[in-house]
Amino acid sequence: MGLRDFLARHISRHVNVYRVDDFSVEPPEIVRMIKRVDVERMKPEISCTVSKPFDLHEMTERLKAKAVNVKFTGKNAEAKSYRIKRYVKEDVKTHRHKLAGRPQIKTVLKQSQSLPVELPNIIRSMKKRPESLKGEAVLACYGPIVEGSVLKLALNKQRGTLLVWYKPGSRQLKAKYVYLIRRLGLGGKPEWRWE
Amino acid sequence: MAANNTLGYIIVDGNDSLIRGAALVTDAKGFPVDFVRSEPLRPDQLSRILYGDSFGKYAKEKLVLESLLDAVETDPQLWICNDPDILEPLRVNSRIKSVLLEESPHVPLDAAGHIETTADPGVFLIQANANGAPFRAEFPGGVKPEEIQQTAAILTEAAETMNILEPFTRVEKALSFLASGVR
Repeated sequence: MGLRDFLARHISRHVNVYRVDDFSVEPPEIVRMIKRVDVERMKPEISCTVSKPFDLHEMTERLKAKAVNVKFTGKNAEAKSYRIKRYVKEDVKTHRHKLAGRPQIKTVLKQSQSLPVELPNIIRSMKKRPESLKGEAVLACYGPIVEGSVLKLALNKQRGTLLVWYKPGSRQLKAKYVYLIRRLGLGGKPEWRWE
Repeated sequence: MAANNTLGYIIVDGNDSLIRGAALVTDAKGFPVDFVRSEPLRPDQLSRILYGDSFGKYAKEKLVLESLLDAVETDPQLWICNDPDILEPLRVNSRIKSVLLEESPHVPLDAAGHIETTADPGVFLIQANANGAPFRAEFPGGVKPEEIQQTAAILTEAAETMNILEPFTRVEKALSFLASGVR
């Protein structure tokens, strides 16, 4: 306010009035307010799985609980009614576990008959040697062997044992001992002798 | 069927995971007249848990031994075993004279057929053959003196025509042979 306006206002009670045409402030926007609440019907599905020991797959029962008519009021939610459906995938089975039982037995007589009797050299445990072998070097002694039933003899040089194959069905029972000897003084080859 | 001059040899061996056995009946020469063997018994983990420490003994006696005895068609006059675990059940189940026989380090006794007592109850030395050391023969509990005499007589007679303990080696060989899958 200038001096002229001040004096005019207090002395002559005159107030200058100015016209204002330019409003720079936009009027406030008026918006209609709508209060709306969305209400949704709640139908939650609840499922639970119960497992039993040993076999989860076979022992599983399924329980499905389905809630219906669930309404939400303004204050709280109230489930008025509900229905539970029970689904059992399979009947529950009991299992008889087979414990260790009797083994299968096989008769294998032919295979066993093909195996030779293996006799050790018993020369060291012989109490006395036959008189007929005096003067001869006895290298080994095997027996008793039923000579009349022998099919084949073989010396296992690695083990020092004598392998004896018997004829099946032979009824002879006269046993002898077989000696491996070397005649002294002749430098001859070792030879077998039944006594 | 019982056959004279026959000896029976029975082996049941293995451990908790595999048990097998075989029974061989031989004639007086040691030639096989009957031979049965069990398929290997492989117990599962649950069986081992349920039976616990007693499984091995149970399997040997009840499963393998009894099955072998049931399958043998020619009953021997004497069963010979080499395992103390099966001596008693062998006697009870077979109802045939049974003995556990093994070599002894003892000096030879006077003559073939001679029997000598030892410090162990139920254990005797039997000189079956004129040559070599006597056998250490262990009998089931409660054995009668006459049964010991009869056993010694059987062994002495058999020793004239065969090597008494040799068939054990053959049974073990046969089991190994069959286990190898070669037929």
